[in-house]
Amino acid sequence: MGIETENQIIEKDMRDLALKLLTNHEVDVIIGYTKGTIPLSSSPIMITKPEEVDKLVWNNLCYVNLAKYLVPRIPQLVDPEKGNLKIGIIAKGCVGRALIHLAVENQIDLENIKIIGIPCNGIINRKKIEKEVGEKEILEVYASGDNIIVKGKNFEQKYAFDQYINELCKVCKVKTPPSIPDLMNSCMGECQEISSVEDSFSDLDEFEAKSSKEKWDYIKTTLETCTRCYACREACPMCYCNLCFVDQNKPVWFSKTTDLPDIIVFHLIRAMHLAGRCVACGACSSVCPMGIDLNLITRKLEKIVKERYNFTSGLNKEKLPPMMSFSMKDTEDFMLEED
Amino acid sequence: MPNPYIPVLTTVKSIVSENKVNDIKTIELEFKKEEDYNNFAYIPGQFAEISLIGKGECPIGIASSPTEEGSIKFTIKKMGEVTSGFHNCEIGDTVGVRGPCGNGWPIEDMKGKNIVVIGGGFAFSTLRSLVIYLLDETHRQDYKDITVIYGNRDSGEVLYRDVLEDWKKRNDINVVLTIDREEEGWIEKVGFVAPIVKEVGPSADNAVAVVCGPPIMIKTTIAVLEELKFTPEQILNSLEMRMKCGIGKCGRCNIGNKYVCVDGPVFSLAELKKLPSEY
Amino acid sequence: MDQKILMKNEIGKFYIELAEDYNFYAPVNEKGIITFKKVLNSGGIVLDYLNSKVPPKEILFPKMEVLFEYKLDGKEVEIEDRKDLNEKNIIFGIRPCDAHSFILLENFFGLGDTPDEIFLKKRQNTTLIGIGCNTPRTTCFCTSIEGHPFNKVDFDIFLVDLGEKYLLEAVSDKGRELVKKFSWLKDAKKDDLKQAERLSKEAEEAIVTKLDLSHIDKVLDPNFDHPIWKEISEICVGCGTCSFLCPTCTCFDVIDETNQYNNKGRRVRIWDTCQFCLYTLHTSGHNPRDSCIERCRNRIMHKFSYYPENYNVLGCVGCGRCVQLCPVNNDLRSIIQKINQIENKKKEAEKISA
Repeated sequence: MGIETENQIIEKDMRDLALKLLTNHEVDVIIGYTKGTIPLSSSPIMITKPEEVDKLVWNNLCYVNLAKYLVPRIPQLVDPEKGNLKIGIIAKGCVGRALIHLAVENQIDLENIKIIGIPCNGIINRKKIEKEVGEKEILEVYASGDNIIVKGKNFEQKYAFDQYINELCKVCKVKTPPSIPDLMNSCMGECQEISSVEDSFSDLDEFEAKSSKEKWDYIKTTLETCTRCYACREACPMCYCNLCFVDQNKPVWFSKTTDLPDIIVFHLIRAMHLAGRCVACGACSSVCPMGIDLNLITRKLEKIVKERYNFTSGLNKEKLPPMMSFSMKDTEDFMLEED
Repeated sequence: MPNPYIPVLTTVKSIVSENKVNDIKTIELEFKKEEDYNNFAYIPGQFAEISLIGKGECPIGIASSPTEEGSIKFTIKKMGEVTSGFHNCEIGDTVGVRGPCGNGWPIEDMKGKNIVVIGGGFAFSTLRSLVIYLLDETHRQDYKDITVIYGNRDSGEVLYRDVLEDWKKRNDINVVLTIDREEEGWIEKVGFVAPIVKEVGPSADNAVAVVCGPPIMIKTTIAVLEELKFTPEQILNSLEMRMKCGIGKCGRCNIGNKYVCVDGPVFSLAELKKLPSEY
Repeated sequence: MDQKILMKNEIGKFYIELAEDYNFYAPVNEKGIITFKKVLNSGGIVLDYLNSKVPPKEILFPKMEVLFEYKLDGKEVEIEDRKDLNEKNIIFGIRPCDAHSFILLENFFGLGDTPDEIFLKKRQNTTLIGIGCNTPRTTCFCTSIEGHPFNKVDFDIFLVDLGEKYLLEAVSDKGRELVKKFSWLKDAKKDDLKQAERLSKEAEEAIVTKLDLSHIDKVLDPNFDHPIWKEISEICVGCGTCSFLCPTCTCFDVIDETNQYNNKGRRVRIWDTCQFCLYTLHTSGHNPRDSCIERCRNRIMHKFSYYPENYNVLGCVGCGRCVQLCPVNNDLRSIIQKINQIENKKKEAEKISA
């Protein structure tokens, strides 16, 4: 079936479930996506009334990782009288993984959360489409059959869906949220039992074949347009630190300027802080106003973590991530490796 | 016109510790060039952006009065990187100064009035500047009664002891010191600033109250002053805000359509009530 | 006559004559993104574009700017001022909304007893050559802030794309002086002027976003504590995209950077934003704008209430970048509509209860 038919089914199931949860007061608020006000976008939305469920959409442009809204610095989803609100959250696979990982890191309590699982069929790569269309305004984007149709005032273009979704979506192995064995009531809709993934990481072959200099040049050209707006950090559910390392001033670890060395250091250190924690949702790349594709760095880190620790984040509530745990069996020969 | 971000250079003349725990020091600076000193014409209540070039810059209220010629003084509490740097300064070090910034206490409008100076803790530094200015022989006759009420957590925190001693010896100023709790050897008053202000009971008639201190002290003191019939126009406050450039350009100290570093830091209570409560 | 014709294939000639004396900034396509860069030849100049992501404020108010340099020698310090502020600049091919932003930036940097000489000197030495918007975007709303896609009043020289050629008009005295140098420019004909007028009308009609900003400050001021701010800021994640990519945002942070090995350094300013939680954080730990609600509200109040109070003109140019680039699509146009409706909803509630 075509993508748009898939989306219609996902949307209907999602809305039915949301309606049931709100009508029965099983949740106080549902965090989901609504249609964006401009093409190639969607907007997170928080609905509290059953009559609002028709605002929820699923349209391959739902790139924000909604788990972010559960770990703000100042608690928002709290009612002065009721206390913590009961939350329902529309979860594609990576959002589900983020929720589990945040629970592992003791940032959220899954007992208060209903995970409304949906089978994600991919997120459109906004920046790739914008770049290909060039300096013409896009007025409409929708899926049709196996294609993405992009329309403007004097043009209409067709892009193969499989080619124009995010790079991370192309190799995604966890399209529906993992179920949580001891909290079966919290996973509704489409969830899957999954404890590990098999991944050949063959999409990295081209990058890994590059020489050191070519890899370094790639990183430099990718990152040099960064404006240090931190949209990537704010969109990432795993970046919930009260004081980010770049903002520390006792001592000042790294500079905040847009000099290339400072930019590179920010992104690489942030990537290191995400090793074993990143859930490969691609929100960081989707939200970057300059269209910087951080996915390759993310993917490479995921491969290293998988190879060395046989760990994939966000699948198992009981398993500690490698950077938060130590085992005598951890191999250390990578310290002696020559690259 | 010159680059407004470039400081003039001064040399550290002296560093004096002001409190027992040694985290508040007064640093005295001498301008390297005389013309810079002459150009730095300030009034009490203003502040300056002082820098340790290479470390950073911070806004500090000027503790010296313009009547204390030859040098300028700043009282600095050790809080972060730059302030710690100042604490570790040595005599002869170079310090950058940009200023004077801000509007200062309205010494012209205060003429002919009774002045009630109320300070709490470390915020007393610009009040030192104000009182020394008011007491100076060239100005004393322009002002009527002067009352100073200065409170601290304990006796070790009282700043400017030498200056306070001088004031107490005079008969044209009433100085009331207080600390929060009884202490052996402390013969002055005991109690928080607000109840002491109530006890002293300054008259609101033809008076101006100048209040500086931590937020809770300001709040309680203003309540007492209002009981004593002080109008919002008669109560002046020096606002603490996050500041960076000191010239109204970086945006940090922006509240409503005002910039605290340019339109303040001195505001009357009447003016503060008109601003959004984001301070 | 002030109106000339510049053929599209004459841009190179135009550039060469100017590049000798001016730093020539123009829109170029870099990795698929339109950016304003100092060009070394006219080949890469793109004038047929929607708009850049990073606004041209970046040319005179860069993301990172040196305030001064210094040398540390024991207890002594030597300070070196900027030496490049007298260089002459041409900013070529910007849109009327961005040109208007330079007026707003000048207002701001020039205010008070201590104007920002760094920006103002560069601005004085800069000539603005702009181009009208034949195809405004659906997110453009310059007409709502008393602007127009063919507004030439903020430029020194204004171009209109007539297809094969540009209508070139000197607008200011500075512009007229410059155009005199190009004696080879032919005069524009009546038909050219008619075509430009027609394009201007079409562009105005193509603006679909119309916001009612006539009384926005009157609605904002009494509703500072209105619960609608919670709704408006609900999905905001607190990044700096809207501020950094706004042509009129100017907040900055100041940092000293010293090279420990040769004791030389520089004091720089970098873009900062009221949307970051650290922006108003006091050393004592107190934060007057502790949550997204206050910070989101502050940005809107600043553009539509505080700035107009100081300068009698709205602090927004209607370029629509914040709408295009907000990571969570927190659309400014929806925000303005919600705010305008506060008064309507109040009146309805009064009618019902009456």
